[in-house]
Amino acid sequence: MSVDLAVRLGPLALRNPIATASGTFGYGLEFEGYVDLGGLGAISVKGLSRRPCHGNPPPRICEVDAGMLNAIGLQNIGIDTFLGERLPLLHAKGATVIANIWGDTEDEYVEVLERIGDDARVAAIELNVSCPNVVKGGMVFGNDPVALAALVKRCRVATKLPLVVKLSPNSGDIVAAARAAVDSGADILSLINTLVGLAIDLERREPKIGFTTGGLSGPAIRPIALRMVWEVRRALPNVPLFGMGGIETVENVLEFLVAGATAVQVGTANFRDPFVSGRLVKELAAWCDRHGVDRVADLVGTLKTRPRPEHTFAKA
Amino acid sequence: MPVNEELRVLKTLSYDATHYSLFVQAGSIGALTRPGHFAMLQAGDGLRPYLRRAFSIADVTTVAGVPALEFVVKVVGVGTAALAHFAEGTPLPVLGPLGVPFPIDDLGRDDRVALVAGGIGLAPLVLLSRVLAARGVTAELFYGGRNEKDVLKRADFERFLGAHRCAYATDDGSLGRKGLVTELLQRELSAGKTYKRLYACGPVPLFRALARIADEADLETSFALESEMACGFGVCLGCVVPARDGRFATVCKEGPCLPHTAIDWSRV
Ligand SMILES: Cc1cc2nc3c(=O)[nH]c(=O)nc-3n(C[C@H](O)[C@H](O)[C@H](O)COP(=O)(O)OP(=O)(O)OC[C@H]3O[C@@H](n4cnc5c(N)ncnc54)[C@H](O)[C@@H]3O)c2cc1C
Ligand SMILES: Cc1cc2nc3c(=O)[nH]c(=O)nc-3n(C[C@H](O)[C@H](O)[C@H](O)COP(=O)(O)O)c2cc1C
Ligand code: FES
Repeated sequence: MSVDLAVRLGPLALRNPIATASGTFGYGLEFEGYVDLGGLGAISVKGLSRRPCHGNPPPRICEVDAGMLNAIGLQNIGIDTFLGERLPLLHAKGATVIANIWGDTEDEYVEVLERIGDDARVAAIELNVSCPNVVKGGMVFGNDPVALAALVKRCRVATKLPLVVKLSPNSGDIVAAARAAVDSGADILSLINTLVGLAIDLERREPKIGFTTGGLSGPAIRPIALRMVWEVRRALPNVPLFGMGGIETVENVLEFLVAGATAVQVGTANFRDPFVSGRLVKELAAWCDRHGVDRVADLVGTLKTRPRPEHTFAKA
Repeated sequence: MPVNEELRVLKTLSYDATHYSLFVQAGSIGALTRPGHFAMLQAGDGLRPYLRRAFSIADVTTVAGVPALEFVVKVVGVGTAALAHFAEGTPLPVLGPLGVPFPIDDLGRDDRVALVAGGIGLAPLVLLSRVLAARGVTAELFYGGRNEKDVLKRADFERFLGAHRCAYATDDGSLGRKGLVTELLQRELSAGKTYKRLYACGPVPLFRALARIADEADLETSFALESEMACGFGVCLGCVVPARDGRFATVCKEGPCLPHTAIDWSRV
């Protein structure tokens, strides 16, 4: 039996639901030899800004139980170098490229979008409005639905490409942020970005990360990410979602699909095992085959939940 | 292109409670390895350690006739502790060789170079010594540790380089000179000796002191740097050091072997 892995997220059609997450897959080309770049659902590249950005001073990362903290500070080569030097190579490999972008102001986001224009080698734009590791950056938008709505409206006008908005798990009400983004023109939502965490070097009584706090990623955040995907799906059942957070195995992928994500992005796991994303594509097909699923899209949002009962008390 | 292989553990040789050598099959990594290269080792598939750990490929050698990679490890936390307990025959995922190795292609029989190690920084200098010796390059080792037990693989260094070219310094004077390893080097430089290049690996304070010495003596250097790494191949951007041009340079991809002049020591 041949399994149909293709999925559609609004205007974005993917050959399969396994994409890679921004900041964990470089500009894609670094994984040549480990992963068939053209065989992935999509590649979301490292967050791009209007000019190259140096990022934060080290130390930028540390391992914690079941994951890591990072405060890279959005170091990147800038949109022009990306478009001029990396995108042509990625395109030649047959990769479906998602340009993850960020700015300190609305104007900066729009400037990046204008440089991309309607370049058909970019399959979609992903607005990072949720990086917790810069003093300004997208976080101001991610934490305030009103600011987010204004930003997304301007970006919607500035690009015709499919527009993904990547939501923060740190904003309190992720459903409110999701609504604001969709009402302002987002085609697709991505969730979640990293959760703000703190790790301490006891001997020095200093934070282990130079930026003090860092974004938590890896298996540690998976249950939270799943819950948020499920919540947003329940509130906005017609909005296609990229789910991510601690995905490592094909079972993890399927959990996200069942919770309501149409596709997933694999992040931190790429560091531990550079082959993992490519392998998950094959394993997903094999799993579906074994379970008699002929269209992977049929699994999306199939979580069966029970009504939540009110609690009862013992009799006095 | 670095290779990812499951290499079987051949032997673990314990020096003391916190230092050991781990020998694994060389696989196809052995032939690709140059002095200064490192590898990322995955210590088990649990959730802690979660990420791979970086280790210099200390030597490409044999164990009972089987081609082997040697890693010399100091136990500092969960990963380095876990790797000590891998039984013979256990397959270990190894990604390597990684990074920019020591520059040595320009060296020949007429050249003299200095090798400076601090503590566990000996690791990348073992293979360097072996290769330089084979080329007939004169290499002098200056190796500092806390005490005699901290100084590892002396026999190998002395075999490759000649015992008279190996000088030691310890904090307590239990081996060699009591004091800092930089004092050994300074003494040679003050006596008018010159070196075509200074290769070094050790803790940040040692690098800092050597950078100062190199500036004063106008010495060319190659430092094998360390940093916490999540990926080891240039994608996480977690391992950076401040570069003199204002950027941050990746230790895993632009390094680990960098000239001291590439680094902005005031921001380290
Ligand atoms: C290119 C390179 C080559 C290296 N070669 C060797 C080698 O040959 N032999 C050897 O023993 N060690 C080497 N190291 C250091 C080694 O990677 C760390 O000691 C190891 O990752 C610590 O893991 P852990 O789980 O035991 O410590 P953890 O429990 O993760 O941390 C314990 C302590 O070590 C510090 N630490 C963690 N990772 C690193 C790191 N990568 N570098 C420096 N400090 C760190 C932490 O900040 C913490 O204070 C090398 C590092 C690099 C980057
Ligand atoms: C080192 C690192 C860098 C990241 N950089 C970015 C980035 O530039 N833009 C972005 O939108 N998300 C970034 N992220 C967040 C990831 O894309 C992803 O949302 C998050 O890590 C959760 O997935 P994971 O647990 O599978 O890693 C980064 C994450 C890590 C660990
Ligand atoms: S360790 Fe990931 S970029 Fe260097």
